[in-house]
Amino acid sequence: MILELAHFQILAAALFCLGLYGVLARRSAVMVLMAVELMLNAVNINLVAFSAFRDISIVTGQVIAIFVITVAAAEIGLALAVIMRLYRRRGTVNVDEIDWMKG
Amino acid sequence: MGLILFYILGGLTLVAALGVVTTRNIVYGALFLLVAMSGVAGLFVLLFAEFLALVQLLIYGGAIIIVILFALMLTRTTDFSVATEHRRWPMAAVISLALFGLLAGAAIGDSGDYNTYQRSGISIEELGKGLFENWAVPFEIASIVLLVALIGAIVIGRSGEEEGGEGDQG
Amino acid sequence: MNADFTLLIPEFILAGAGFLVLLVDLLLPREQEHRRNAFTSATAVLGLAVTGVVAATTQMNTGESFHDGLLFIDRYSLLFKVLFVGIGIAVVVMSVDYVAEKMSHPGEYYALIIFAVLGATLMAESGELLTAFISIELLSFSLYVLVGLSRGDARTAEASTKYILLGAISTAIMLYGISQLFGVMGTTRFTEMGGLLAAAGDWDMTLISGFVMVLAGLGFKLSMAPFHMWAPDVYEGAPTPITALIATLSKAAAIALLLRFLAEVGSGAVHEWRMPLAVLAAATMVIGSLSALPQTNIKRLLAYSSIAQIGFVLVGIVPNTVIGANAVLLHVIGYAFTNLAAFTVVIIIELKLGKETIADFAGLSKRAPVLAMIMTGALFSLAGLPIFAGFLTKFYLFTSAVDKSLEWLVVVAVATSVISLYYYIRIVREMYITETEDESKLPVPALLGLLAWVLFAGTIAVGIYPAPFVDATNAAVTVLTPWVAL
Repeated sequence: MILELAHFQILAAALFCLGLYGVLARRSAVMVLMAVELMLNAVNINLVAFSAFRDISIVTGQVIAIFVITVAAAEIGLALAVIMRLYRRRGTVNVDEIDWMKG
Repeated sequence: MGLILFYILGGLTLVAALGVVTTRNIVYGALFLLVAMSGVAGLFVLLFAEFLALVQLLIYGGAIIIVILFALMLTRTTDFSVATEHRRWPMAAVISLALFGLLAGAAIGDSGDYNTYQRSGISIEELGKGLFENWAVPFEIASIVLLVALIGAIVIGRSGEEEGGEGDQG
Repeated sequence: MNADFTLLIPEFILAGAGFLVLLVDLLLPREQEHRRNAFTSATAVLGLAVTGVVAATTQMNTGESFHDGLLFIDRYSLLFKVLFVGIGIAVVVMSVDYVAEKMSHPGEYYALIIFAVLGATLMAESGELLTAFISIELLSFSLYVLVGLSRGDARTAEASTKYILLGAISTAIMLYGISQLFGVMGTTRFTEMGGLLAAAGDWDMTLISGFVMVLAGLGFKLSMAPFHMWAPDVYEGAPTPITALIATLSKAAAIALLLRFLAEVGSGAVHEWRMPLAVLAAATMVIGSLSALPQTNIKRLLAYSSIAQIGFVLVGIVPNTVIGANAVLLHVIGYAFTNLAAFTVVIIIELKLGKETIADFAGLSKRAPVLAMIMTGALFSLAGLPIFAGFLTKFYLFTSAVDKSLEWLVVVAVATSVISLYYYIRIVREMYITETEDESKLPVPALLGLLAWVLFAGTIAVGIYPAPFVDATNAAVTVLTPWVAL
């Protein structure tokens, strides 16, 4: 069996779903952020793999991947600032204790 | 050869990712994340996207993980077991597995349609041209996005004029 | 390759205005907060106004695609550009007194509003997935920061955290969808994708998953069911002018993008997505209306109300027709006026009385009769009662759906409209009928009062003299007509 697109797609799917599990199941907000990073990496693997396995490899995939990394970095910086402020106000970063549904 | 490398790197990445979402120690989680990111960088090399691999290592390993570790340090999560306990994990596992089944099934079923079984890379020149010529507008927009994130991290990180807590922007 | 950057002059002006506001804030001495507030807000309004005027005067007749479809500078994007600039100006004016009392970073605040407007404008202009994604991020980041900006209580920190975490998750999902779509089609430009999809036969699973995930991501921004959970908490915790901004700007931008995306990319295979989207529209209307019934906090109520309103808009998008698109655009315009008017009144109440529950509106008809009238007008418009914008626009939306054998959807829409009457009327009753001990005159700040009047006038204008607005929406929709059925 040679290395083909499906390998990378399945890997990306697995990574994405692991990230999704982390998002749904973890209690610490920082943990949720790390899980989101996993999801974004899965997106990148998908993009670069698609871009590499085409007839003429398409720049678009890798360009989008660069932007995803950029946005991920910016998002983490901002999100951590917000989480730290929450920690200062509430003393916890537990997402369950943030009243999700007050009615 | 490529297949063997793929299994090694892919396996490493997935095991590390599993570690990220299941570990009870949040600092270990950050370190697992670093390993996973490095695995992904290796996969990029396998896909002949060397520049992207480099960017991945530099930004994720060099900046993002550092920021996360700082944040962990500043939120003083000494109470590890409480902080990383799982909530509603059966349902989360079911949803994730279902989605994985869907996507993997799609991959196996369809990939013959747009698969050339040949990996080809893109030269840095092409990538640079693409980024600065074809995609110049998103590039400029991204610069404003970064500015906004920077403003936000500084202003929110410092809100209340309390000491410490400046968002460390990578 | 058309890379005529002069097409982007309004966007450059807007970005420049944002930087200018930051610069003005930097140059003024730190202690003089009042002066900083005044100057930065004035600069912001000026920048926004200049952008709007330049766009309206120079781009009336353009129908260009920038860079082969990266951005579309046409009547469609012009309509939204002017709308967004208007919303930006309204929110800045709304904020001046609010910022003076409750917030500590006026320069950043106004600059971020400008950047949010820029992001929204680019979303409406996007002709391609990467540009759409990065514009969404620009809008979203600006809003994340704005939500967290106040000298807050714990509620703001919570709302801010919730917003950014859920936003990050939805971005990740949408990106995965984009990667799937790119993988299947090899391109991310809407027009090229539309062509490929029209020619394709059955959709394979990868394509469907891509589509669904992109729509899921957009659904978050729109607070469409089942992705609406964040809205009530974020609306409640955010500073009220920012709540107004989220309710109007980000929703309208998401609608602009969704409508263009579905029209250009999905028109070839409408039967694939019409039913699922119709079901989601129905769910959104029902959940929004029913959840609003027990609410006591006015901001949460308006959050659920706007969720329901999005459901109504989706009723217009689902048929994928020219009439439907027209109705959607007209409704968005009316909805902007209405919501901004309502929020202006809420801000005045909050600043003068310091509370946000419905009970605080008691006796408003005696304490500030003009305000009560304006609020009533806004609420009646939201409910869809005649002479106000809501009636006309809802009428158009519902009739457009009837045409495509979606009668069941119209029934749901009308039913939820009737239900929504209850909670809107309840506020009116508080204002006019409920007795209150405190009958002192409520002083209305001049600027806010003027803004409320202007928005109220707009709400009525769209309702009884919609012709100029309809002309604008018609011109906008002709851009979509190559793809959208009649």
